[in-house]
Amino acid sequence: MEARLAVLAARLEELLGAGRVITDPVRLRTYECDGLTNHRSTPAVVVLPDTAEQIAGIVRECAAAGTPYVARGSGTGLSGGALPRADGVLIVTSRMRRILEIDIPGQRAVVEPGVVNLDVTRAVRPHGYYFAPDPSSQQICSVGGNVAENSGGAHCLKYGFTAHHVLSCEVVTPDGEIVELPADGPGYDLLGVFVGAEGTLGITTKITVRLTRLPETVQTLLAAFGSIEAGGGAVSAIIGAGVVPAAIEMMDALSIEAAEAAVRCEYPPGAGAVLIVELDGPEAEVAAQFTEVERLCRDAGAFEIRIAADDEERALIWKGRKSAFAAVGRISPAYIVQDGVIPRTALPQVLAQIDALSAESGVRVANVFHAGDGNLHPLVLFDDAEPGAEERAEAVSGAILDLCIEHGGSITGEHGVGVDKSRYMPRMFTDTDLDTMQMVRCGFDPDGLCNPGKVFPTPRLCGEVPGVRRGAHPYEGKADLF
Amino acid sequence: MGSEDDLPNLLSDCVHCGFCLPTCPTYVLWGEEMDSPRGRIHLMQQHADGTPLSGPMVEHFDRCLGCMACVTSCPSGVQYDRLIEMTRADVEREHPRSLKERAIRELVFQLFPYRRRLRALRGPLRAYQKSGLERLVRRSGVLERISPSVAAMERLAPPLGRAPKLPERVAARGERRATVGMLTGCVQAEFFPGVNAATARVLALEGCDVVIPRDQGCCGALSMHSGREDEARAFARRTIQMFEAVDVIVVNSAGCGSAMKEYQALLADDPAWSGRADALSAKTRDFAEFLAALGPRAKREPVPVTVAYHDACHLAHAQGIRSQPRALLAAIPELTVREIAEPEICCGSAGTYNLFQPEAAGELGDRKAVNVDATGAELLVAANPGCSMQIATALRRRGAGIAIAHTAQVLDASLRGLGRDALVARDS
Amino acid sequence: MRPLDALAKVCGDVRPGEPAEGVLGVEPALVAAPENVTEAADVMRVAAENGLAVVPRGAETRLDWGAPPERCDLLVDTHRLDGLIEHAAGDLVAKAEAGLPMERLAEKLAERDQRLALDVPLPGSTVGGTIATGAAGPLRSLYGTPRSLVIGLTIVRADGQVARSGGKVVKNVAGYDLGRLFSGSFGTLGLIVDATFRLHPVPAATAYVVCAVSGPEDAHDAVQTVLHCAVAPSAVEYIGPSGTVAVLLEGVPDGVAARARQTADLLGENAEISGTAPDGWGRYPDGTTLIDISAPPPALRDLLTLLGPDIAVTWSGSGHGHVGLPAESTPDEVADVLGRLRDALGRHRGGAVVRYTPEEVRGEIDLWGPVPALALMRRVKDQFDPDHRLSPGRFAGGI
Repeated sequence: MEARLAVLAARLEELLGAGRVITDPVRLRTYECDGLTNHRSTPAVVVLPDTAEQIAGIVRECAAAGTPYVARGSGTGLSGGALPRADGVLIVTSRMRRILEIDIPGQRAVVEPGVVNLDVTRAVRPHGYYFAPDPSSQQICSVGGNVAENSGGAHCLKYGFTAHHVLSCEVVTPDGEIVELPADGPGYDLLGVFVGAEGTLGITTKITVRLTRLPETVQTLLAAFGSIEAGGGAVSAIIGAGVVPAAIEMMDALSIEAAEAAVRCEYPPGAGAVLIVELDGPEAEVAAQFTEVERLCRDAGAFEIRIAADDEERALIWKGRKSAFAAVGRISPAYIVQDGVIPRTALPQVLAQIDALSAESGVRVANVFHAGDGNLHPLVLFDDAEPGAEERAEAVSGAILDLCIEHGGSITGEHGVGVDKSRYMPRMFTDTDLDTMQMVRCGFDPDGLCNPGKVFPTPRLCGEVPGVRRGAHPYEGKADLF
Repeated sequence: MGSEDDLPNLLSDCVHCGFCLPTCPTYVLWGEEMDSPRGRIHLMQQHADGTPLSGPMVEHFDRCLGCMACVTSCPSGVQYDRLIEMTRADVEREHPRSLKERAIRELVFQLFPYRRRLRALRGPLRAYQKSGLERLVRRSGVLERISPSVAAMERLAPPLGRAPKLPERVAARGERRATVGMLTGCVQAEFFPGVNAATARVLALEGCDVVIPRDQGCCGALSMHSGREDEARAFARRTIQMFEAVDVIVVNSAGCGSAMKEYQALLADDPAWSGRADALSAKTRDFAEFLAALGPRAKREPVPVTVAYHDACHLAHAQGIRSQPRALLAAIPELTVREIAEPEICCGSAGTYNLFQPEAAGELGDRKAVNVDATGAELLVAANPGCSMQIATALRRRGAGIAIAHTAQVLDASLRGLGRDALVARDS
Repeated sequence: MRPLDALAKVCGDVRPGEPAEGVLGVEPALVAAPENVTEAADVMRVAAENGLAVVPRGAETRLDWGAPPERCDLLVDTHRLDGLIEHAAGDLVAKAEAGLPMERLAEKLAERDQRLALDVPLPGSTVGGTIATGAAGPLRSLYGTPRSLVIGLTIVRADGQVARSGGKVVKNVAGYDLGRLFSGSFGTLGLIVDATFRLHPVPAATAYVVCAVSGPEDAHDAVQTVLHCAVAPSAVEYIGPSGTVAVLLEGVPDGVAARARQTADLLGENAEISGTAPDGWGRYPDGTTLIDISAPPPALRDLLTLLGPDIAVTWSGSGHGHVGLPAESTPDEVADVLGRLRDALGRHRGGAVVRYTPEEVRGEIDLWGPVPALALMRRVKDQFDPDHRLSPGRFAGGI
């Protein structure tokens, strides 16, 4: 290790105690990537703090040493947002996992950043509440990570994203201060921009989340269609009828095949697409809407409709969908999970275009998506043993994002930009747009040490603001030059 | 284990999603990547890519309990069970251990798989506990680690001599529905003979002829799960021979049952034995698995007791048996089954784990004890003797007592109409 | 060139300001009303070149909020930016220009049975003003505030550059969400020129369950009963001094009828089901001083106790509300109520901010109260507006 980093590691050990600072190369390497494995970088130092004060101390040490740092929760991100820096410190919050307060009358809970998403729900369910954001990785992803990524989930169609369920964050700023950012306080809504900033504005150390009342009832149906187009028609009809389901998910034939191979979900044979529609809420409300959804699905050409009679049957319906990503491993040696968004009404058109892309390139694409909000998860399949196959898959994957942008959509609906998609940002935003976003960054982190290299393809030099009147005097810090 | 060649394939199944993390006992304790299945697989990959086994690497492999909760939670079907066993064999082959470690390991592996040696230890142990000799030998270190476990068994097991010696054959009551072989196990047989007796009785009462080969030895589970492959294979061959005559083998100890179901893989490379190993694995059934499939015939008498059912890892994760024991218990009139929070997390017993990693095992035991205590149950039911001892000991540390029983003993009490006193009146 | 001439070259509607157009008494030298984004950008660029302090203006419904600007060289009026750029009904999305009045937006959206789920407490207010002030009403309990519903935003920066964030899809995590940062930023970071919103279907049926409560304890119990039951209300309001707890239910006709009955049963014999909102619903309480309060549900009891039975207040179940103080309140009385509000609500991690108050009171009180992370806010402001020309001094901490 570089001498400079060795000194820093020693200081961090003083701060945290032995056993909380990892410098052994074999151990460090286990932290080389998060949930996205095609970007890897072994951190110079890993620290496992227990308190906000320790994180503030770590950040101050890093700032003093000019060393970059990256925060990581459970390491499940799919855009490399927690990719470490080889010349930096990885701050792992997985030991900060206490639920500090449950306030049912106030419908909120206060948790540490390492608390697992689903553990919040587990803790409050006996009171009739849950934490609404439900990313597929909710059994392991951390609330701190959810804040960084503004995580959604299958049910965010109705309930919104993490940003809508966080009331306040205690944050360690890049200058090592601990500040509270409330959603509803005087002044700027800094929380609003902090949530979803992918850890580039600071590290959250305590999160006040909003708790949502468990719905009185949940109804789930599975509808099988001959084609994706027919399924898409059903989605349009449902939304057009003014129904806001908790979730609408769609899978195409290839992803159904994969799920079948992996978990034997026994979806109706011969389906070109299956649609999972879930409604929740008060019984009287759901009953009426559910009948309508069922009718709309039939009218749109569903040849089989299954209705879950209980939680077990519901789990069976969801099993195929939830396993889909991992299941694709059964039908392909390797694959890229893409995450793009299109206006929902463009669905048939874009899917036809993806089909054409696939036919043209010979690269197979399985489609799984949150149909209600147009969030596509094309799974681009390839054989990593075949020379050039990965590059071809990458090209198709990138072309799909171009389609999303062309139709007025987004390059990411929930996985984040991270390190993986920063190069696509200029296709979606102008230089000025990106420059403007980075003004926020410069306000928070002028030295660019907090999770650098993420989100933005090129960092903004924070000194370049014309006519700066505040902050450091231009001559400050230059004394040693003379 | 299977051929080394497929290690890279098995490793590449892992997509690094992290779903295994919250079910891993050591990750739950320490929150460190290296002590999670995902991290250990990463370490295995490093080793496969040429990084030599180092002290830190081995430390993280050693800390794995082998509970297989990660196998259950993995959406990609990673065979971590095979990976860790291959890795442990590598460690045994390649990594020199310290003198002290070697001494402890030798003692354990020379003791536990051998009934006669265990038996020989029981009397002196009790005397040792009573005499205050304990303090004198504490300095030895080795005994200090072993003795609490054996002493716990001693304390929790019913007094010697009360359990009837099992005959070689127990005849079915009523019309015979099946003929089954029964594995008696090492620890089970020596410290919990009552469990074996209850198992045999319940099987007979449900219409099974029970064949109990007298000279059966250790099934090899401890050795297999610790990377001592050759030793495990020898035990396996002997067990295969012993049970070749029966169609079904009923096993009441979760660790033994899961090992026997793995013989197939253990002896896959041995042409003379692989077919016979397949056959044995195919006919091995856990006690609850077998009874649930057979269906009830004998009348269940009420047992008014509140039960906390604990999923032994080698039953729930390794064999996928969760609903059957619960269903068997719930079918007993007036018996209430309570669920324990965090059911997927290991209690820390894990075969030899509490001997080799006493601190982690202790912490996990405490965590489980808190959850068991919270159920308010009077009786803890588990299908593995190690779990029961581990949890009861941890509860005792908290100042809470609980009676323990095997599923077979609860059924036995119901079938024979013994009521609750047969289960909860015991010293707890 | 004089600023007026320079502005006139780039914008079709530029004129000197009039005394009546003063922002809390600060008279603008110039008023410019750009017609489109290009004009708006040019106006802002010319303002930058001439060092003009700029205050954006919509329909003037909240121009008297906050503190007076330190200076006001140019009012940028958005009334000519009043188009509905796009209503993608199938996607439940609409893009509107900043100067479009909220009611007109609502009318257009209603043609396709859709709505922007934000109340309009002050009639006439514009899309841009609503975002800039973070304004919302009872529906905030279910649908949130502008920060939750803005999915794309176009702004003109202090230097005249046009910047966009977000887009026109609801689910989108690409880049920083400037929509949330600009919500409630009171024109101090840039000029909002258009916004894209997430829409909701107009519910087929609505009902209000209205219940008279007697005193803080009763109000607290009624609110808690509704919050923790399964009727899934769209809004739960307390309205004082009348002492009313009102619940809004939205959905399909059968469902709403059943849920209204259920709610009425829960609230007891005082509860009545009504097709129309009770008095005071979705309006700011009367008075010449308006205090915006953040008060989580458990704080309601303390809040009502300290206010007493006569002070006008509205409060939403999401934990946000407003207090109105009458014209005859002396500066000391306002300061006293404000101080006690901040003490009491602070214990519940809430707070109180004065939105408007007579000039003689304004000088005597701290409008904002404690502002956490103020240093960070100043640094963000410095980045967006290094010369401090955008609504200078109007905002928290003198920003």
